[in-house]
Amino acid sequence: MSHKLLEVTQVVKVFGGFRALDGVTVQVDAGEILGIVGPNGSGKTTLINVISGLYRPDRGTVHYQGRDVTGWNPTRLARRGINRTFQLPKPFKSLTVEQNVDLAAHYGKKGRPGIADPLEFAGLSNIRQQSASQLTTAQQKALDLARALATAPDLLLVDELAAGLNPVELDALAQKLLFLAHQGMGLIVIEHLLGFVNQLTQRVVVMNAGREIFEGTLTQAAENPEVVAVYMGE
Amino acid sequence: MPKIARSLWMNGFIGVVLLVVFGVAPGFYANTSILFQMMMYIVLAQGVNVLYGFTGYLPFGYVGFFGAGAYGASLAIQMGHLPGSVAMGVGAMVSVVLGLVLLPLLRLAGAYFAIGSMAAAEIVYYVVSNPALDKVTNGPYGIQLVQSYHPVESYAFMVGALGLVTLGVMILRHSRIGMALLALREDSVSAAMIGINVVTARAGVWLASALVAGLAGAIFAWHTSVFYPTTVFDLNISVFAIVFTLFGGAGTVLGPTVGVVVLFGLYNVIGISSPQYFQLLFGVLIVTLVLFLPNGVVSLLRRRGWDVP
Amino acid sequence: MQTFRVEGRLLRILFYAIISGMLFGLFFALMSLGLNLLFGVMRMVNLAHGDFVMVGAFIAYVAYTHGILSPWLGLALVIVILGGLGFVLYFPIGPRLTGSYDPEMLSLILFFGVSQILEALAVMVFGNNPVAVGYHVLTVKPVNLLGQAYQPSWILAAGVSVIVILAVYGYLYHTRLGYATRAIMGDREESESTGINVHRVSAIVFALGLVTAGLAGVLSPLVIGSIYPTMGLGLTITAFAVVIIGSLGNPLGSILGGLIYGISLMLMETYLSTWSTMVPYVLLLLILLLRPTGLLGKGVRRA
Repeated sequence: MSHKLLEVTQVVKVFGGFRALDGVTVQVDAGEILGIVGPNGSGKTTLINVISGLYRPDRGTVHYQGRDVTGWNPTRLARRGINRTFQLPKPFKSLTVEQNVDLAAHYGKKGRPGIADPLEFAGLSNIRQQSASQLTTAQQKALDLARALATAPDLLLVDELAAGLNPVELDALAQKLLFLAHQGMGLIVIEHLLGFVNQLTQRVVVMNAGREIFEGTLTQAAENPEVVAVYMGE
Repeated sequence: MPKIARSLWMNGFIGVVLLVVFGVAPGFYANTSILFQMMMYIVLAQGVNVLYGFTGYLPFGYVGFFGAGAYGASLAIQMGHLPGSVAMGVGAMVSVVLGLVLLPLLRLAGAYFAIGSMAAAEIVYYVVSNPALDKVTNGPYGIQLVQSYHPVESYAFMVGALGLVTLGVMILRHSRIGMALLALREDSVSAAMIGINVVTARAGVWLASALVAGLAGAIFAWHTSVFYPTTVFDLNISVFAIVFTLFGGAGTVLGPTVGVVVLFGLYNVIGISSPQYFQLLFGVLIVTLVLFLPNGVVSLLRRRGWDVP
Repeated sequence: MQTFRVEGRLLRILFYAIISGMLFGLFFALMSLGLNLLFGVMRMVNLAHGDFVMVGAFIAYVAYTHGILSPWLGLALVIVILGGLGFVLYFPIGPRLTGSYDPEMLSLILFFGVSQILEALAVMVFGNNPVAVGYHVLTVKPVNLLGQAYQPSWILAAGVSVIVILAVYGYLYHTRLGYATRAIMGDREESESTGINVHRVSAIVFALGLVTAGLAGVLSPLVIGSIYPTMGLGLTITAFAVVIIGSLGNPLGSILGGLIYGISLMLMETYLSTWSTMVPYVLLLLILLLRPTGLLGKGVRRA
């Protein structure tokens, strides 16, 4: 039988009594985009941190390409093809833009093909030699994406990449993410901007207080009383 | 890319100049002891440079490796009856073994690491110099290596060590590994996320710097041939190596070299006859440096837009 | 010492080691208190801490060479001199360091420089040789307790240490400035935004740190014998051991750390004297590696 690209099963993560994740189960297939929405503190970023190996879950499992990768560290996962962007982008400021990407390709790629020129793809090809300390926030976010792509991930976790972009940039970003999915990459996209998510996918998970309260299309979500209650209560 | 190539050339130039100067100098300048110690401090400063400049660990106990190398080599000569040249390798390896034992120190950060490494060095010193171990290490009474005394050969070894270490730092500075270490120093989470193995990378640098200090200690023991535990475990050795590095500028090849040549030169002019005046100057220099020039004197060049090798 | 076979005798030796360890430990609690305060409030690693103890000791020595045979004048002088010095010195150093990219590391290096300066100046003024401060109390007959003799000088040093430590606690827990100090320890930025004059409070704490070190210096001839300009580094390391055993950044920990240090040192001296010099270092390293936040710590260390 064939496996899903990613299967997260009943994952629990507790921080000193606070259940940041309270039994979350999600699945993503290759070539598919899963949107995750929900109010602040609902556990979206914690979920990404668990999948990318920053946190070890207290309970539950993470399977990737059919293999149990629960508790693997980020380095190992990155080399296997799971990568991510950060809500607050963190380029290596002591290096140039190109060196940032070059390092990622060298240490993280491990023989997977990936896209040919991540900097070109992220729209940074005109500032390759610039020091990463001189970038605007939007450029930092683009570099964060380029760096993650340089490791040629099969699964990409995107944490609020769209915040602060104008409508034209938003549209361009959506096209890029759709292109990646079309190439066979699985994506999880966390986003506050529902319109942006709607542009990407019909499959959305709504989270609240560490739980998944809804899965389906955004249109259906808007008619779901629990989802509406969570958003009205915010 | 041409920019990198140019500074690589600059680095090679520094290395060649160093080797020629220290290789030829004994023919013109009779006080080889100062030349020898200057080379020794460049080697040690580069060891500190690699560790601090590329990983951010400040090793106040760096002298522990130096002393371990000195004793390792001495015991290899005394008890193993090995020739000096082979004993140098033994000394360096003893230091690497000590580095392996002390690997858990790398779990500590910032000041905790600095203090912890100092405590570790003191422990090694107290063990080596303990009267209870006088059958092995001769306790506090030190080492006499009469049979292997060879000032010329040991001097040549230090020139070799200097060349190797300078070459190593050059390569590190211009290689992808060096870049990866800088990335790791800046943000270990992001570094891990792009596939850099944080633990291995830090441990590798730690062991390499232990090797360097152990080698310097071993050659020092061979060259000096009579010394006490207080000589080779003197905390001032760590301190000198650290201050020379910081003065010149960590993370560069040129910085530590400049630091040693200027400050150790100064030490030999005024420090020997009236050490307290040198110490005072040293202290004032450090305070001024931290407050006004935290990246070392070579950062002055960089501010003028020079590419410092 | 180890050949005695009588059990009662052994017990009494153990008892002696513990009591004298406590007296000794209380002195070291005071000796390291300032180091802890500076780290807790300003994230400053005062590598010159032991040298300020040395300065206190030499202030007492100067008083002694002018014919004053009790430590009281020295204690008063230290409060005035080091208190004033600390308050003034804070302003060129403190704000610059706490605002820098890495206060911990930079202060470590900076204070190392300060330590070199103090040591050099002391050698210039007082020479390189150890000198003795012959307080009158050092000649008083030992006090008997359960068949063991205790040095009155140790009892005096421990007593004064307790008083000073209590005074610092009074300041921290029963004065308005003390509340402000603890607020800064909790969260520096937060307290800045609530209108606390962070730099003034920090300057006071800085002065307090130097004063407590200096007071320990005045008492040091009572406990550790003769004094010399280069005694600072060893004391700094011991202070670090004490503070880290307790937990860096938590002043309460200093007392616990001091007691544990004092008692284990005395036990080692009684039973394994050749290895006793290693005690502070081994304790320091063990606690660092096994429990990096100290015995009372809670997440002081950044990953």
